[in-house]
Amino acid sequence: MSLSRKAKRSIWSWVALSPLIVLVLFPFAVMILTALKPPSEVLRQTWIPSEFHWRNFITMWGATNFGKALWNSVYVSTLSTIIALIAAIPAAYAMSRYRFRGKGAFQQFLLVSQMLSPIVLVIGLFRLVVWLGLVDSTNSVVIVYAAFGIAFSVWMLQSYFATIPRDLEEAAWIEGATPWQALIRVFLPLALPAMVVTALFTFINAWNEFVIALTMLRTQDSYTLPIQIFSLVAGRYTVEWHHVMAATFVATIPVAIIFAWLQRYLVRGLALGAVK
Amino acid sequence: MPDPVSRQGLAQMNRSLLVNPYVLIAPGFILAALIILWPLASITNIAVHDVNRFGVLRDYVGFENFQVIFADPEFLGALRRTAIWVFGIVAGSIIVSIPVAMILNADFYGRGLARVIIMLPWAISLTMTAIVWAWAMNGESGMLNSGLRAIGVLDRNIQWLAQASTAFPMQILIGILVTIPFTITIFLGGLSSVPDDLYEAARLEGANGWQVFREITLPLLKPFVNIAVVMNTIYVFNSFPIIWVTTQGGPAKSTDILVTYLYKLGFQYGRLDDASALSILMFVLLLAFTLLYVRLAMREEKA
Repeated sequence: MSLSRKAKRSIWSWVALSPLIVLVLFPFAVMILTALKPPSEVLRQTWIPSEFHWRNFITMWGATNFGKALWNSVYVSTLSTIIALIAAIPAAYAMSRYRFRGKGAFQQFLLVSQMLSPIVLVIGLFRLVVWLGLVDSTNSVVIVYAAFGIAFSVWMLQSYFATIPRDLEEAAWIEGATPWQALIRVFLPLALPAMVVTALFTFINAWNEFVIALTMLRTQDSYTLPIQIFSLVAGRYTVEWHHVMAATFVATIPVAIIFAWLQRYLVRGLALGAVK
Repeated sequence: MPDPVSRQGLAQMNRSLLVNPYVLIAPGFILAALIILWPLASITNIAVHDVNRFGVLRDYVGFENFQVIFADPEFLGALRRTAIWVFGIVAGSIIVSIPVAMILNADFYGRGLARVIIMLPWAISLTMTAIVWAWAMNGESGMLNSGLRAIGVLDRNIQWLAQASTAFPMQILIGILVTIPFTITIFLGGLSSVPDDLYEAARLEGANGWQVFREITLPLLKPFVNIAVVMNTIYVFNSFPIIWVTTQGGPAKSTDILVTYLYKLGFQYGRLDDASALSILMFVLLLAFTLLYVRLAMREEKA
């Protein structure tokens, strides 16, 4: 009996992909297996724990100050996403609906600010935050994330808005709706999925950010999750790796699942924005 | 009770708010400009002044800070390593991504699962990825050593992060792994735009797999490769957490790249003036690359 063509190709494809898949899954294996090791086995060179020590996830919560950092991350990511979207939605609407003088310049400004990572501006940003009196306040991070999120959001949103036909709003005007009514009743419902997707990506970017939080946040009370977990590792003589890996797991997996689900929308947005 | 005239005026104003693009872009522009242009102006100002440890501006010194940077052997080392870092990751991720994207573009059993696995590194913050790898590469207890020993590749433990000759290549490897998902995404977009009958026609003409790849796939992918090169270059150039978390540029500054060197100048050595000059240099480099990207994107639009 011979294998079908598709079955053969499947075997061949999985074999060809296997080295990459092993490399991708390796850190996840390290994270999960370490998180489940009994504390006495963490420094031993074994892969599989003798028993799955689920208690690590409970002791981790207190040992790593997880709750406070989780709250800071949620606060910073949510607030910066809301601010970025409130600013980006009208701008993206204007970019997708109107021709106006300076549109090209605004587009280039967005492109440049998207290409500039905060790291290049970090000295100036720090001085700005000092001037605003916001050092060690989570609000300093909120403002910076929101501003850097705007370029990305406008870019994503305008490529989606451009696919919503203008005729629909114009038809509503002819029916006697005011532009505001047309916007709220006709345009916004159609644009809602794009806004949700953009909001989630902006949220994840903020959730994962490192340099700005490392620079602006100075005490444990204001640390976001990446900084809190990094502080448990950096410059420490002894590191409780089972707690660190458990914390990394809890901080990472929910966002990773959302991202895996959303990733195809990003592909579409990027393809529309960057190539078309 | 408002009289009809002012109500009409109000409606007019409402209407004009909605149809005036300048009003619509103003909030976004003002916030983004505040956070980008203000720091940029501030850095430019510091870069041409002498600044003390506490950030107080003193004398105007022209390009002196830039000269200090160019004469600093640490800068030259970081510059050289940045070139290796960017080239290694960008080239490595593209070389891996082209065949992987081609495999993922064809139909096979479990393709959905394979796509999700390969995209995973993109979903995790670089900081967390780097923390996990730093632990995996631990010299005494790391699971990389024990794993490689178990399959017979190593016979003794390697202190991966204790010397640049192993630390830097491993950092580049991690960089490649986290850059692959985005690169594949761009290529999958490109491959899906290739009509299937083009391949059918080539097969009928008797072309073999390599010929199809060279004559059809590669030329069609070329614009997407260009975009991947430019976007990844900008992104990798700015990438900070992998190196900062695993080695902080050490041991003995041997894995510093420009972004980590900049961070040390500004926040560890307290040399704000030199750090600002370096920021300007990096900004100019990035701008040059961004302009190149705009060029490429526009050429695509015309084509």
